[in-house]
Amino acid sequence: MIDTLVMLLAGGVGRRLNILVEARAKPAVPFGGIYRIIDFTLSNVMNSGIDNVAVLTQYKPLSLMEHIGTGVPWDFIGRGRGAQILPPRTGRKDSDWYKGTADAIRQNMDYINAHPAREVLLLSGDHIYYMNYRAMIEYHRQKKADLTIAVMTVPMDQMKNFGAAITDRNGRILEWEEKPKFPRANLASMGIYVFKTAYLLSILSKSQEHDFGKHIIPLAIRENSVYAYPFRGYWRDVGTLQAYWQANMDLLDPMSGLDPEGWEIRPNPEEASLIGDRPPTQILPAAKVVNSVISAGCVIAGRVEHSVLSPGVHVAKGATIKDSVVMHECQIMAGSQVEKAVLDKNVKIGKGVVIGIGSREVPNQEFPDQLFTGLTIIGKKSSIPANLRVGPNSIIYPGCSEKDFASEELLPGSVVRLLTP
Amino acid sequence: MRKVLAMILAGGRVDELSVLTFYRPKSAVPFGGLYRVIDCALSNLRYSGIENVGILSQYRSYSLINHIARGAPWDMIGRSRGVTILPPFQGHKASDWYQGTADAVLQNLDFIDYHKPDLVMILSGDHIYKMDYRSMINYHLRKGADLTGAFTPVDLREAPRFGLARIAEEDRIGGELLLYREKPASPVSNWASMTIYLFKPEVLREVLEENARSSSHEFGRDIIPNMLGRYKVYGYRHQGYWNYSRRLEEFWQANMDTLGRRPKIVLKEWMLRTNLDHQAIRDRQPAVLGKKALIYNSSFYNGCRIEGRVENSVLFPGVQIAEGALVKDSVLFFDTVVEKGACLEKVISDVDVVIGAKASVGQKNGRHAIQGGITVIGRSAQIPAEITIGPGCTIYPDLRPEQFTSKEIPSGETVQ
Repeated sequence: MIDTLVMLLAGGVGRRLNILVEARAKPAVPFGGIYRIIDFTLSNVMNSGIDNVAVLTQYKPLSLMEHIGTGVPWDFIGRGRGAQILPPRTGRKDSDWYKGTADAIRQNMDYINAHPAREVLLLSGDHIYYMNYRAMIEYHRQKKADLTIAVMTVPMDQMKNFGAAITDRNGRILEWEEKPKFPRANLASMGIYVFKTAYLLSILSKSQEHDFGKHIIPLAIRENSVYAYPFRGYWRDVGTLQAYWQANMDLLDPMSGLDPEGWEIRPNPEEASLIGDRPPTQILPAAKVVNSVISAGCVIAGRVEHSVLSPGVHVAKGATIKDSVVMHECQIMAGSQVEKAVLDKNVKIGKGVVIGIGSREVPNQEFPDQLFTGLTIIGKKSSIPANLRVGPNSIIYPGCSEKDFASEELLPGSVVRLLTP
Repeated sequence: MRKVLAMILAGGRVDELSVLTFYRPKSAVPFGGLYRVIDCALSNLRYSGIENVGILSQYRSYSLINHIARGAPWDMIGRSRGVTILPPFQGHKASDWYQGTADAVLQNLDFIDYHKPDLVMILSGDHIYKMDYRSMINYHLRKGADLTGAFTPVDLREAPRFGLARIAEEDRIGGELLLYREKPASPVSNWASMTIYLFKPEVLREVLEENARSSSHEFGRDIIPNMLGRYKVYGYRHQGYWNYSRRLEEFWQANMDTLGRRPKIVLKEWMLRTNLDHQAIRDRQPAVLGKKALIYNSSFYNGCRIEGRVENSVLFPGVQIAEGALVKDSVLFFDTVVEKGACLEKVISDVDVVIGAKASVGQKNGRHAIQGGITVIGRSAQIPAEITIGPGCTIYPDLRPEQFTSKEIPSGETVQ
C-alpha cells in the first residue's frame, strides 16, 4: 500500500482566460517566463515526497500531455515513481466526458482501487502557490478526519468566488457555503482535499453528484468528520486575465511573496521543438532593459521595462515593451510600442505598431466582464501588420494577419478574428 | 550506414588555464555563459549522427562525470546508443595511468572491439568549434584512407604551438598528407591539426600496438609522423571558427566572441547542448533585472540577478550583481556574487566566487602583459571588501577574506 495517491484535476476550460485557453487547457498556460501553471502543483507534489501523480485531462490536453511527458522534469522517474495521464474514456457503462470534479474522480475509481493508499489527495493544476502537502496529510491523520480541506483567509469581498468553511475552534468544519454573496466568515476553500480512501470511495458511490464543492463537500460535512487545514502564504488563482497578468508582474516585486526558485518549482525546459538548448540571452549595444524578468534565449536590442519575457523573444532596436507579459518566440519589430499587453507564443509585432495606448475605460465589446482593466491580449501566432494601432482591452485572436484587420486603428475594446477560418 | 565510434580525449588538465583547471579537466571548463567546452565535441557528434562515444578521462574527472551523466542531453541514450566514461584502470597487465593519448586508446581497444565500428574517430574534447563530421567521414571513405586528420588554418605566428601539415593541393577540401611536424620551431605551414583523427579500426590497432613498444605515446608526436609513407594518410581542410582556448587570453576571447550584434560564435546557430541538470541550471527562474540595472552588450542566463552595471560581459546562471557594482569585459561562472559597489574589469571568476563590497579587481584603462591583463579567480574564493587587485593576478580557490594579507595586490601577483 502506498502512502498517498495524488489525483490532479487538470480538465477544466478556464474560460475567463479567453484566447489564452483557446488551444490549451488552463494548467498548460505559460507563466513567469519559463513555467506552465501546472508546474507549481507538480513540483509541490514531488517536493512533498510523493512519488506518483495521476493527471486527469479533458479539455484540449495536447500541450499539457507533451509538457508532462514522462514526468522526468519533476523527478517522477524510476520504477516506483510516475506521472500518469488519465483521460476520459469509454467502458462498458461509463462512456461520458467528465461532468464535474466529483464525476471525474468517480469515473476513475478503478484507478484508485488499483493503487491502494491510505489517503487520496485531490488537487487542481490551476494555482500559483507553494505548499508542503505532507504537513496537511499529517494534520488530517492527527485529527482522524474523513476529509480535510485546505483553506485560507481571503478578504470578505472576494468570498463570493470560493467555497466558504465555517469552523469550530478545533478546525472542524460545521457548515459550508458555496460562493456566498453574503459570507459569514472568510475562510476560503483552496480546492485541495485529503480524503481517507475508503471514505472517498464510499461517498462517491453513495452520491451521484458531479461537483465536490457544490454537492459532495456539504454532504460530507453534514454526515462525517471534515476538518479545515489552514494555509498561509502566496496563493493566486490566475483564472482571469487581470489576475494572470498581475501574478506575472508579482515576479518583479520582491515583496510579493512569489518565489518560484525558492519554492523549487521545476519547469520543463526541454521543449520538443528545440534542437539545441536555448543559449544565454543577448543584450545588444542599443538595448535598455530594466526592472524586468528575462528568460534565456532572448535577443534584445530595444527597450524592455517592467515586463516578463519568455525564452526566444526578439526585441528590435527602437522597439519598446512596457508592463507586458511576452511569451515564447515573440518578435517585436523596430519602432513598435507594446504597453500593458499579454502576447501569446510566436506573435509578431510589425514595425511601428502601437499596442495599448488609449482609453483604458472602454471594456472589451464582446467580453466586457473578462477584459476591462486596460490589458490587450494577442493570440498565438498572430502577426500584427506594420503601423497598426491597437487600443486597450482589445483581443486579437490566434493566427490573425494583415488580411484580418479592417483598418489601421483598432478602438479600445475591439475584437479581431480570422476573417475566413 | 557506417557505424562510427568516437573516442574523446578529455583527460587533460592544461596548465595555462591556471585555477580554472585546478578541479576539473579542460574539457569540463565552463564556456559561453552556459556550456562546458566538451559540449562542442558532443553536440558536433550528435548532429553528425554519431551516437556511440567513449570519453577518455583521467585528470580530476568528477566534474566531467557529473556533466556527462547518462548522455541524455546529446541523445546518446537508448539500446544502440551511449556515451561511456573510460577512466584509467587496473587490469591484468595494464595498471598505469594513461601514458599519453595513444596509450589511452590502446588500453581501451576492448571497448572498441565491443562496438565493432566501421570507423574510429579520435578527437579532442578541449576545443571550441562547430563542425559537421560527416563531410570529413565521406572524404575519408571516398579516398579509401587509413587515416584522415582534420586541419584548420591558424595565424602563422601561432603555428609553432600546433602539429602542422602540408596537404597536397588535390582539391579544396583535402589531400594526401605530404608532411607533418609536431610543434616545429619554424612553421612548415599554417594548417594546424585539430586533433581529429579518423581511422580504419584495423589500422588503428596496428599502429597502437606498434607504438606500445616505444617510449612515447602521443598521436601527434609519435603515431602520425610514423604513418606517413607506410599508410594512406590524408588531410581534411576545415574552415570555420576554431578556438584552441588553451591560454587564458584565447579562452577569454572565445567567450567575448559570443557577444555583440555580429558575434563570431553565433550560439543560436551552433545549437550546443549541455547538461541542464549540472549546477541545477534547469531549476533556476528567469533572470531578474532590477530598477537600476544597466546592461550593455552582454549575455546572461536564468538565475541571474542584476542590479548594477554590466558591460561586454558573459554571466553564467545564478550570477548576482548588486547595486552600484560594475562588471566590465568579464566572464563570471555559475553563482558568482558581486557585492555592492565592487568593480571588475577583465576578470574571469570561477564558480561560487564572492567579490566583496567596493573591491576593485582587474585593470583600469590600459593593457598589461601578464595573462593578457586577465585576473583569474579560483572556485569559491572570497575577495575581501575594499581590496584592490591589479590586472593579470591569480587568486587561488577557496581563499577566505582573512587570508588576504594586504589591501593592495599589485598586477601579476598570485594569492594562494
